[in-house]
Amino acid sequence: MIAAEKDPVPTGWKMSPRSVRTYICGGKVGRTKITPKYIGHERLVEIAISTLVTDRALLLIGEPGTAKSWLSEHLCAAINGDSTKVIQGTAGTTEEQLRYSWNYAMLLAQGPSEAAMLKSPVFTAMETGSIARMEEISRCASEVQDALISILSEKRISVPELNTEIAAKKGFSVIATANTRDKGVNDMSAALKRRFNIVVLPAPADLESEMEIVRTRVAQLSAGLDLNSALPEDETVQKVCTIFRELRCGETCDRSQKVKGTSGVLSTAEAISLLCNSMALAGSFGSGEISDDDLAAALQGAIIKDEDKDAVAWKEYLEHVMKKRGSKWSGLYKACRDLA
Amino acid sequence: MNHPHIFGIRHLSPAGAWHLKNFLTEKNPKLVLVEGPCDFDDILPWFADAAVQPPIAVLAYTKDAPVRTILYPFAEYSPEYQAILWCHENKKKCRFIDLPSEVFLALPEHAPGAKAADSGEEERMNVYALLDKQAGEDGHETFWERTMEHTKDTEGYRRGAALFGSELRALEDDSETDRPEILVREAFMRRKIAEAVAEGFAPEEIVVVTGSYHVAGLLDEQAEAMTDKELASLPRLEASHTLMPYSYYRLSTRAGYGAGNRAPAYYALLWEAIGRGDLSYTARCYLSRIAGYQRTHGNPVSSAQVIEAVQLAAALAKLRGGSGIPALRDLRDAAVTCLGGGSFSELTLATADTEIGTAIGSLPDGVSRTSIQDDFYRKLKELKLEKYRGITQQELALDLRENRNVSSQAAAFLDLHRSFFLHRLRVLGVSFAAAAAARQDNATWAEHWSVRWTPEAEIELVEAALKGDTIAQAASFCMKERVEQAPNMGEAAKVIEDAFACGMTEAAAYATAALQAMAVDAASVADLASVANSLSVILKYGDIRQLDSRPLIPILQQIFFRACLILPGECICDDEASKTMAGAMEKLNSAALAHDFLDVASWNEALREVAERDDLNTKLSGYAMAIRLERSLADGEALRLEVGRRLSRGIPAELGAGWFEGLAMKNRYALIARLSLWESLDEYLEMLDDEEFKRALIFLRRAFADFTAMEKDSIAENLGEIWGYNGQEVSEALNSELGGKEKELVESLDAFDFDF
Repeated sequence: MIAAEKDPVPTGWKMSPRSVRTYICGGKVGRTKITPKYIGHERLVEIAISTLVTDRALLLIGEPGTAKSWLSEHLCAAINGDSTKVIQGTAGTTEEQLRYSWNYAMLLAQGPSEAAMLKSPVFTAMETGSIARMEEISRCASEVQDALISILSEKRISVPELNTEIAAKKGFSVIATANTRDKGVNDMSAALKRRFNIVVLPAPADLESEMEIVRTRVAQLSAGLDLNSALPEDETVQKVCTIFRELRCGETCDRSQKVKGTSGVLSTAEAISLLCNSMALAGSFGSGEISDDDLAAALQGAIIKDEDKDAVAWKEYLEHVMKKRGSKWSGLYKACRDLA
Repeated sequence: MNHPHIFGIRHLSPAGAWHLKNFLTEKNPKLVLVEGPCDFDDILPWFADAAVQPPIAVLAYTKDAPVRTILYPFAEYSPEYQAILWCHENKKKCRFIDLPSEVFLALPEHAPGAKAADSGEEERMNVYALLDKQAGEDGHETFWERTMEHTKDTEGYRRGAALFGSELRALEDDSETDRPEILVREAFMRRKIAEAVAEGFAPEEIVVVTGSYHVAGLLDEQAEAMTDKELASLPRLEASHTLMPYSYYRLSTRAGYGAGNRAPAYYALLWEAIGRGDLSYTARCYLSRIAGYQRTHGNPVSSAQVIEAVQLAAALAKLRGGSGIPALRDLRDAAVTCLGGGSFSELTLATADTEIGTAIGSLPDGVSRTSIQDDFYRKLKELKLEKYRGITQQELALDLRENRNVSSQAAAFLDLHRSFFLHRLRVLGVSFAAAAAARQDNATWAEHWSVRWTPEAEIELVEAALKGDTIAQAASFCMKERVEQAPNMGEAAKVIEDAFACGMTEAAAYATAALQAMAVDAASVADLASVANSLSVILKYGDIRQLDSRPLIPILQQIFFRACLILPGECICDDEASKTMAGAMEKLNSAALAHDFLDVASWNEALREVAERDDLNTKLSGYAMAIRLERSLADGEALRLEVGRRLSRGIPAELGAGWFEGLAMKNRYALIARLSLWESLDEYLEMLDDEEFKRALIFLRRAFADFTAMEKDSIAENLGEIWGYNGQEVSEALNSELGGKEKELVESLDAFDFDF
């Protein structure tokens, strides 16, 4: 793709914004077909890319399993050809991890010097004019979040010990991901939010695109895992996606019936891991093809998280929705009912 | 034959308007022909009037009911509007060339509720859906904006639009849509062009401005112009037309190819930007306006954020290639990302305000309007209501009393006249003002209205033009019509009420006469009572409206007397009907108390009869007794006798209890205070055996059901006194917890079926 580039490439980038879009959303370069990495909301990808073009930091917000990290990784990979400059945000992340820390043995022996400095991914990104990623920013303590504010607004990190500071090269930016609705997250301050262009990633818009995502990802994952099992049939994928969507949205796909939702989010990512899980079950202990029993076990595990409420909702769903779906569903229904 | 220059446009396209102007300047034609009903030629000069402010619309309407209407809206950036302005400035001739509106109105699709129109509309939508798919992105609107609105090249625009139109035609060819109508229209337009050429204009001296869709049709060599015979065979309805102010909001709700667009205020920005020769102006202005709106509504937005949004929008547009000028979609997405924290819901109001806007057009006085519109605007000015002519709803509080602090008669009763005016509009069904619920009880001099001008209101006004030349005339006509069709007296009485609210005594007199005629026919007491009540209210409070309501007196007397005569007879009814009857008696009684010209003696006589007769509904008898007690027509002694008679052994328990229920419906405090009553009730209950007691219980329970807890307590205290306890002991007993035995007793009642 880099070779086929026709449009102007921004400083610090490996390819033009348009090619980045093609890389992520799929398309054609010459005769080569580019497989899409992110399926669904192409417009959001465009907004994300444009944000980075305008030298702004990007914040991807969404519920768990909406491909935030996936998208941020691929954006970095496309823009810099490298997505390794990443900080995993946790409640234990410190300010040093964001700026720089010291090799204390060296520091004690030689005093402060550049060689004794341990640079953070953000620091390196500034030096090289590339993009740093910050995962789960909302899980960091607020003082760590605050440290990011000045980095983003001034685009420089000062090192008072060495009496210098480094300024970001052009092309430096930060992609952060955040999960706003979960336990154990800190609210982000307005000042920090202001430093970012915010893109909210929604769940897939319709059943077809969700199935497409699940199918592609399951194929990719299973190829790497030696699961000894045939890929799930379309019908199986459809069933899983339908159940997940319906429980997630609280109504049936044809909108004719209300369904009681569950406490968990039931994301697309979970649907993918659920299918891989059943493939593993089928491959190791079963016939090598996903049977209704494998699926039922996996479904129950994914849907009923820890609360009694979920079990009730799942039973209600079985009896009111799945039971009435006709012969195609009857095998799965029976298997699920026996387990429940 | 040479063709005239044809410039295909998209209605309401700012770039189209701009390029059309350039095109006209370049070609300098002697005649400009514009797509639009040819009978509108007479209002062409008004378009150029300096006091006219778009958006405006031409409304064509049939002269006979049911009224059919069509609207031709024009914004400042309508190419047609700009073409007309150009002709005026350059002293060139300008004409409309489409079918006359009388033919349009006769086409079946404009018939109210026509099915054909729906399916045609649907197919048209299908074509656009197809177009949306092919255009990629999010539909043909954005496609059009990127490819056409941002074009700087006039000839490019002209060719592009023509191509767009012919492609659209090709797409539609398969479907049957409204082809016949279009062919007829194009044949007529060809005829008009041929006429112009025959008049002596060389084809090169003519520019035809028409929807891009029609360009291919007009250029078609094979197609013939319409013949006289064909023209004569077209259906027609007698029609008239008028100019009216229009609103951006209305334009946006009729989005689609022809009649509107979804973001009129945004397109106005685009027009301004094109005028400045700086297309990026739109982006800056749009985003600053959104930020401004957010700030004034309490959401802090910094200038830095606006700058970032402008940059993001530009980057988004560049991603699409082309001119790199952000389209509405880019701007909106940029605003959501930078100003709205990623969620559109935070900006919905701001975007609505910026994209649609609240602008409404205005016309100078005397511009070709129907006389009723003229009257409307004259009245607005007279009554100082002009500031209420806005698209946002405003509250108006009126004080109908004379304002003694001002000198002139007109000023003193300004609010009263406003009230008359607004009531007349209400009667006409013009949704300019809606009466709000009164906030203060019994304040007959206060009225609250919420006022809002909408193009719909204007259309309703024009429709009302059929009914009269002024608002007063039309309202009067409307009320006459209602009286003539009134199914019962109640409706006629409502018209009288309305007539007084509108300050129109002559309409009231007309309705009164009709009411009189109806009153002769058989009518129930309930009807008579509600009519008497309406009339009584008018008579009581009519003074505030400075009207002479005396003509109503004879009719009220007549109705009241009639009600008195038939009341006893109608009191033979079941319990269901007794509720309405009780209500009727209450109304008649308050009328009797309020007006001394009424025949109170007959009323008293009727009450006495109802109270004393044994063969009527006992509840009503009880109620009549209550009224008599209240008005001191019966004393304690009479009550004691009545109680004894009604509540004696041998009278079925439900009848006795029903009577008591009726008695308790009115004037409770007086009843509670009358110890002798409770003594009699006590005696009565003592007398009943268990079976009878249970039956009586049902009715008594109902009778006491809507007494308040305090009232029940004082009744209990009364009974306690009779039984020889003092008040304190009783209240103590009432407020203490139930003991074991009492609980049992109460619980044993659970099995008892109170529903009888």
